[in-house]
Formats: sequence, structure tokens, C-alpha cells
Amino acid sequence: MKTGFRVFLAAFIALGASWCGFVLAPVLQLGTEKQTTVLNSSDIYPEQRPGAATLGLQVYRANDCAACHTTQVRQDGVTCQISLTSLGKNEPAEFKKFIASLLELPQFRACSNSVTAEFQAWNGELPETVTNLDADEAGDMIQHINAGGCKAEVQVVATGADIARGWGSRRSVAEDFLWDDPVQLGDIRVGPDLANVGARYDLNWQLQHLYAPQSLVKNSAMPPFRFLFQVRKIGSTPSPDALNLPAAFAPPAGYEVVPTDDAKNLAAYLLSLRADVPLYDAPFTREIVDTNNP
Amino acid sequence: MNENEKIDSAVDASCRVPLLALFGGAALWLVVGLALAIVASLTFHKPDMFADCPWLTYGRALAAANDLLLYGFCIPTGLGVMLWIFARLSQAELCLPLVPIAAANIWHLGVLIGTVAILIGDSTGFMWLEFPRGSSVLLFAAFLLIAISAFATFGARRDRELQPAHWFLLAAVFWFPWIYSTANLLLLASHPVRGVTQAVIDWWFSNNMVFVWLALVGIGTAFYFLPKLAGRPLQNRYYALFAFWTFILFGTWCGIPHDAPVPAWLPASSAVASALLILPLFIIEFIGWRTAWGSVKSKWDSGPFCFVGSGVDFFFLSGLMLVAMACPQISRATEFTWFGPAQIQLQFLGFFAMTMFGAVYYILPRTAGFDFPFPKLARVQFWISLFGLALFILPLAIGGVEQGMKLQNSQIPFADISNSMLPYLRVSTTGQLLLLLGGLIFALNVFGLTLKWKMAVLKKLLAAIKAPLETEEVKA
Amino acid sequence: MSDDLKNNAPAPENESPGEHSTVPMWIFGLLLILFFAGAIYFDDHSGWFNPQIYAPYQSAEELENYQPKSGAAEMLAQGKKSYDLICAACHGPNGEGKLGQAPPLAGSEWVNAKGFKRIVEIPQLGLNGPVTVKGQNLDFPSGMPPMGAQLSDADLAAVLTYIRASWGNKAEAITADDVKSVRTAVAGHSAINGEQGLDAIKE
Repeated sequence: MKTGFRVFLAAFIALGASWCGFVLAPVLQLGTEKQTTVLNSSDIYPEQRPGAATLGLQVYRANDCAACHTTQVRQDGVTCQISLTSLGKNEPAEFKKFIASLLELPQFRACSNSVTAEFQAWNGELPETVTNLDADEAGDMIQHINAGGCKAEVQVVATGADIARGWGSRRSVAEDFLWDDPVQLGDIRVGPDLANVGARYDLNWQLQHLYAPQSLVKNSAMPPFRFLFQVRKIGSTPSPDALNLPAAFAPPAGYEVVPTDDAKNLAAYLLSLRADVPLYDAPFTREIVDTNNP
Repeated sequence: MNENEKIDSAVDASCRVPLLALFGGAALWLVVGLALAIVASLTFHKPDMFADCPWLTYGRALAAANDLLLYGFCIPTGLGVMLWIFARLSQAELCLPLVPIAAANIWHLGVLIGTVAILIGDSTGFMWLEFPRGSSVLLFAAFLLIAISAFATFGARRDRELQPAHWFLLAAVFWFPWIYSTANLLLLASHPVRGVTQAVIDWWFSNNMVFVWLALVGIGTAFYFLPKLAGRPLQNRYYALFAFWTFILFGTWCGIPHDAPVPAWLPASSAVASALLILPLFIIEFIGWRTAWGSVKSKWDSGPFCFVGSGVDFFFLSGLMLVAMACPQISRATEFTWFGPAQIQLQFLGFFAMTMFGAVYYILPRTAGFDFPFPKLARVQFWISLFGLALFILPLAIGGVEQGMKLQNSQIPFADISNSMLPYLRVSTTGQLLLLLGGLIFALNVFGLTLKWKMAVLKKLLAAIKAPLETEEVKA
Repeated sequence: MSDDLKNNAPAPENESPGEHSTVPMWIFGLLLILFFAGAIYFDDHSGWFNPQIYAPYQSAEELENYQPKSGAAEMLAQGKKSYDLICAACHGPNGEGKLGQAPPLAGSEWVNAKGFKRIVEIPQLGLNGPVTVKGQNLDFPSGMPPMGAQLSDADLAAVLTYIRASWGNKAEAITADDVKSVRTAVAGHSAINGEQGLDAIKE
């Protein structure tokens, strides 16, 4: 290139293109996002975090918790499963024969092996779930089954290692971070993912874990955040906020460990981390709430 | 001295004070940054070491170390080398020499304020942008000042033909203000953009800053120094042009991680761009080898040659790691693991730092007019840094892949995965200690040289004060 | 000329090639192939800039295909949520009721009765006591306000379906259409008056 101006032009074109693609377009597309509704419901998602949790996000940022923890769940794929809830007037043995003949149809060729195996192992008790079908196969099969007088429904299940680990029911999507300022996605899992940690542990667990991680997770590499707590002499009555610690981590006699406001806010933020509702972008069927058999 | 050498030494002398200001601060920040990184990694070996000290908790120490490495060491050194290369290629003295001196001081002040802010808990929360607003303004202003001097020096060239080094370095001067101002305005100015858009812009900025900008400056420097040190012309100009165009066109689009919580078109664009990046990576490595080949044996004693040559190789390696991470199948095993930090640190300490060490070891004695206090230590530093890099990067990369594969297997409890990383982290901390030692040697040399220069200036000043006044006899 | 400039200048014509050979054609060819492969990948995996498409979904049709239809599981989950929010305060988290405040729902014959008109009208219009539930004559002086009137058709249907499927209750689900038809029929009516009012509702 002959002149400085041409170099400038080259750089302008290159950087301008990526600016349009990764700054302008996302601002126009994602930056104007509004709340959405939960799938099959009129609930709004996401709700704004309560005040203490918003302050807790700032504590999270100040101590750079995102240096060790991610708050995003990955999803590798999606499958359907059929949940059979009633056989109607049919007998299990008849039903098995019916299914065997159904699976010989061409559209079920791909899933017939796994479904056959599951039905062969079935002992006739309901409800019975048959897994690993794709949407078309499940939709087809449902129609045949329901036409035969049985009751079954299709359930959509997100699959992936993170989901199997219990870190979430679906992948994280843009709506999950709508209210966060700043968004703390994290990019390395030195510690477990926190996207749904609010559903896994309660307030006391979080506070104790912040003060003495090794008391709850043996050999944990997480540093204790003792500077978020105050060890002080017990006054006339013990403080209601005082932590209940095992002997090895408890303060000396006559002292109690009390969380500071920062610790309480951070714990509130961690409790507010839940993203387990289905959305249009990341659908799944919620768990059946069977209060007859808790 | 022939004509050329006279011009060269005049050019070098004009760059003296700005470069000493830039490189001196950079060397200091390098040592502090590497030390803070070690402090951070100590947490893995003894978690409650800093349990009562919020200033040195892992998150803050690591963020400070990373930003010190980028803003404290890499950028000032890169800018200093750029100014000198422009001056040399223009065969003209550095224009407006006071401007870079002021800018260097403003820059280092900004870095200091930013680092203290991170340690007291005021970090902004955005990767590679943790310095707060006040500090960003100082850094931006300082960069613009240096850019003014760089443009002026570039414009003063008599030979209007541009060299490959020119293309890369000019692009870098243009790149930084745009990405830095965009990132700061959209993320830090008053209210950040909504939701996950913040993360997208942060990734765009991080990629363009840590990957593209450092590559532009580093490769520009390498394309200037390798031919000079190897004694052969660059092999060759057309390949370099192709590499330049493909690199800036594709490199700027990488950066969005594969499983990011953003619509699918963003990671897909990054993945495609990363795949296309293979071409400029191979071509740059090819150019480096063709130019240096044949001289490797003869120039092996030359410290700068070793540094710059190995720098280009590390660029190639870290670039390959970047491309691998963007590949959907491989990203499954490398995402959210130590492989990512390994790739970034290889870029910083392997590619950019080594190239800059070579450049500084070549430039400073010529501009200051003195030799380093311990010139032989340059080779020692080279080998220490090389071993340090191997011990630092390799365990993290290998451990990262193992961590990723275990994360994919939901039967393995997370605590086991964490614990299995500890041996790798122990080895990598040893590597960090070696790298700190290398950095200390570098700082020792730079400070020693600065001290020598200051002593010489002081001596001259004292001599001038003490010299008897010239008197004229008054004729009666 | 200076060392620096000599190193990078294009070589004069009579020098051997190698230093100034241009970029061979096959590299451009490789670039095109990579570009093509990238375009195919982008076509498959990008969802063409649709903001609703996230990996692993590859198209809007696929995403639509995998939307769970509002089946029994969805209804129960949604119903439980609304119940806990609105009804549990008086009727108890397990439908056990509160003495003097609200009758029990678990095992209640009114809940398990066939038909849907009565069970929809109660939350829609409100109910004044006393009522006989499970053999006991219960009075709740403050009466039941029309708690269900604020819910959408689907939400009210979900709550009632949940109540009728929980704590030992076994009755048919209520659909949103059922709720809608009842709401149109009783629009403007006042609260149901005690047991006679309940008996007066013809299914």
C-alpha cells in the first residue's frame, strides 16, 4: 500500500465492519430487549432483583467472583420424551404389542431401537416415560397413542452435561441477564456454575460458605471471604444473624461471627440467581408437580 | 561514521527521553503485574492466605495483574517501539518529543490509579476494562498524544514508500482509539447498554485489544526487526500484504465464545472468522521463518534475535490455540477451562512480551548512548523466560483440556474436577516464578540503564555549574 | 540508502525470484475454499440473525417444533405457582383450610364433583359461608372474595386443575375454554350465597 491514507482506509473498513456486526447490530437487536413471558403462562420474566440482591451484584463485581465462577448454563441439544399417564381401556400386554407394530413404521426407524428397549423393560406401571425422540417422531407417536384411547403427552427436555449436573434446566439466554449491571458472565469454571445457585442452597449455606468454604466443601480451593464478616464479642444476647459454624471453624468462646451488610447483600444476590423457567428461546417442559406422591 | 549511521544516531538520540519514560514505567508494571499474578495463584496452594485481606483476594489480584500486564507493560512498550520504528523508517528525528514524555507520565498515572482502584474494590467488572472511568480518560488522552507524535514523525518521512511495519503499526494507532472509546462510552460512560449486550461489546473489545492490537504492534515490530537482525530482506512484501489484509479483516471478528448466552449468529460469525484466520497465521509464521532461516545458527548469540524470533513462533502457537477454541467440537473440551487463560497468557508473555524484550534490548542502548549494566543477562533472561513459559502455559493448557473433558461427563463430581487441577496449577505457579525472575532481569537492565543516563545527565549538569565562567579581559 | 529501508524495499528486477515472488494462486484458492466452508457453517448454525434462535436450534421452524404444548405437566406447574401465591394464604399450602377462615380443599366433595361450572364460579364470584365440607358445617364470617377474577382464563384453569389433582383429589382438569364460558355466563353476578347458592348452580 502506497500511502498512509490507504492503510487508514483498510483499517477503517476492517474495524468498521466488525463494529457494525458486533457493536451496532447487538445494540439494536439485544439492547432494546424487554421482558418476555414464561412459556405457557402469563408470568413476566425476568423479574427485577430485590434491592439487596442488586447491591449484592456490586459486591460480586468488586470481588471479581466472575474470575472463578460462570453464571451461564450450556445446552448441547434437545430431545422429546413421551410420558404415558393412562392406558385407558387397554391392557399393558396389548399396548406393548401395539407399540411394537407402531415402531415398524418408517418414520420411527431412527428411534425404534431405543424405544423398543425401553418398552421391553417396562413393567406396566404408570406413568411411564419413553425418552430420546425428536419432535417429529414424538408428535407422530402421540397421535397414534392418544387415538388408541390412552393418555400421553410430549415433554421437551434440554440435554447437556451442565443440565445433567443439575446446574440448570435449560441454557442461559439473553433475557436472563436483562437487569444485570454489569453482566458478570464469567469465563472459567474454577468453581461451579452459579446460574441457578439460588435453587440449590439456602441463605445459611451461602453465608457459611462465604465465611468458611472448607467447612462445607472439603478441599475447596475457594478462598474464605472472612473480610466480609465480623468476629465480635457476644453481647447480652447472641445476634440472630450469627453464623452457626462447626467446631473447627467456629470463633473462640464468647465470640460470634456476624455477616456485614456486604455479605448479606451478596448472599441475597446469590439466592436470586435462578433461571429455571422455560422461555420461547429455550423451551422445556417443567417437572410434573405430583403432590399425591411427594 | 558514514552518513546513514550519523542520521540513525541522531534519530535515536531524539527518542531517548520519551522511550526511557515509556519503557521505565513499563518495566516496573511488568514486575508488579507478574508479582500480583503470583499472589493470585498462591490462593490455590493455600486458600486462606488472604482471607482477611480484601486487597489481595484472588479476584482483585488477578484482575489487577491482567490489566497491569496489558495497560502497564504491553501498551507503553508497544507505543515506545512504534515511535522509534517510525522515526527510524522516516529517517527523521522524533517530532514533538515533549508530547510523548508528557503522555508517558499521564499514561503511567492512569495505570496507577486504575490498579489501586481495582484492589480497593472499584473495578468495573468488565474483562480487560477493569480500570474505572477516570483512569480510562487519562489513558485515552495519553494515547492520543502519542498518536499525534507518531503521525507527525510518520509524515516527516522523505521516502514515501511504505514498509510492512508501517502498515501494521499505523493500523494499530488507528485501532486503539476506536475500540477503547466505544467500549468506554457504551459500557462505562453513564449507563451501560442493556443486558447481555454489555458482554458482547466487552468480548468485541477484548478480542480487538488483546488479540488484534497486540498482534498488529507485535508483528509490525517483528517484520521490522527480523530482517534487520537476520541481515536479509523480508520474505516477502507481497505475502506480508496478504497477511495484513486477511488478518485485519478476519481477526477483528473473533472473540464471541461458542456457548455464549446470545443469539446463535454471534458465535457462528466468530467461529467462521476464526477458521479463516488460519491463513494469515500460517503466512505470518512462514514469513518469519523464511526471513530468519539461515541466520538462526549465526545470530543465535544475539539476544534481540532470539527474542523476536521466538515471539513470532509464540504468536503462531497462541493463534492456533485461539482457532482451536473457536472450533465447535474442540470448544466443548476447552470452554470455561484453564485453556482460555493459557492462550491469552501465551499471547501476552510468549508473543508480545518476548518480541518487546527483543526490541527494547536493541533500541535502548542505541537511544540512550549507554549499554545495559548487565548485557549478558539478556541471553539468560531469554532462556529463563522460555522455560518459565513452558512451565506456565503447558500445564494450564493440558489441564484445561482434561478439565473440559471431565466437565462434559456429568458423572464426575465437580469437587473432583477442581482437585485434579491442583497439580497442574502447582507447576504453572513455578513457571510464573521463573517469568517473574525474567521480568526482574529486564527491569534491572532498564532501570540500570536509566540510572546510568541520569547519572551522566547529572554529571554534565554539575560540570556545567562548576565550570569556571569564561571571562573576557576588559581592555583598559 | 538506510539499512531499514533497504530491508523492506521491493527487489530490483534482475535479482533472483524468491524475495519478491507474489502470493501464489493456490493461497487465494484456499481462502475461497475456507470462505465457502464458513458460509455453509454460517447457513446451518446462525439462524440467520434471528434473535430468538440460540444453539442448538438451527431454524425458526425447529424452535417452533420443540415448543412444549400446554399439557398437563405445564398446567400443574403453573397452577401450583398461582395457588401458592393467591390461595395458600387462606386455604393452606396443602389445601387443609383454616378454621374460621377458609374450608379445606383436600378431599372436598365440592372440588371433586363432576362438572366445572360450580368450581369456576366460586373463585370467580366469591362465596359467603356457611358450607358443609366433608361432613362438617363450616362458617367463615368474612367470606371468600372473588380471588380468581383477577387471573387470566388460562391461569384460573391451571389453579383449579392443580387443586383438583393434588392432596388426594382426583377430578378432571379444567380448560381455559371452560373458564371462559363460565365467565361469560356469570358476568356481573354477585357472590354466591352459602350452600343454597352452591346447590343452585346447575352443571
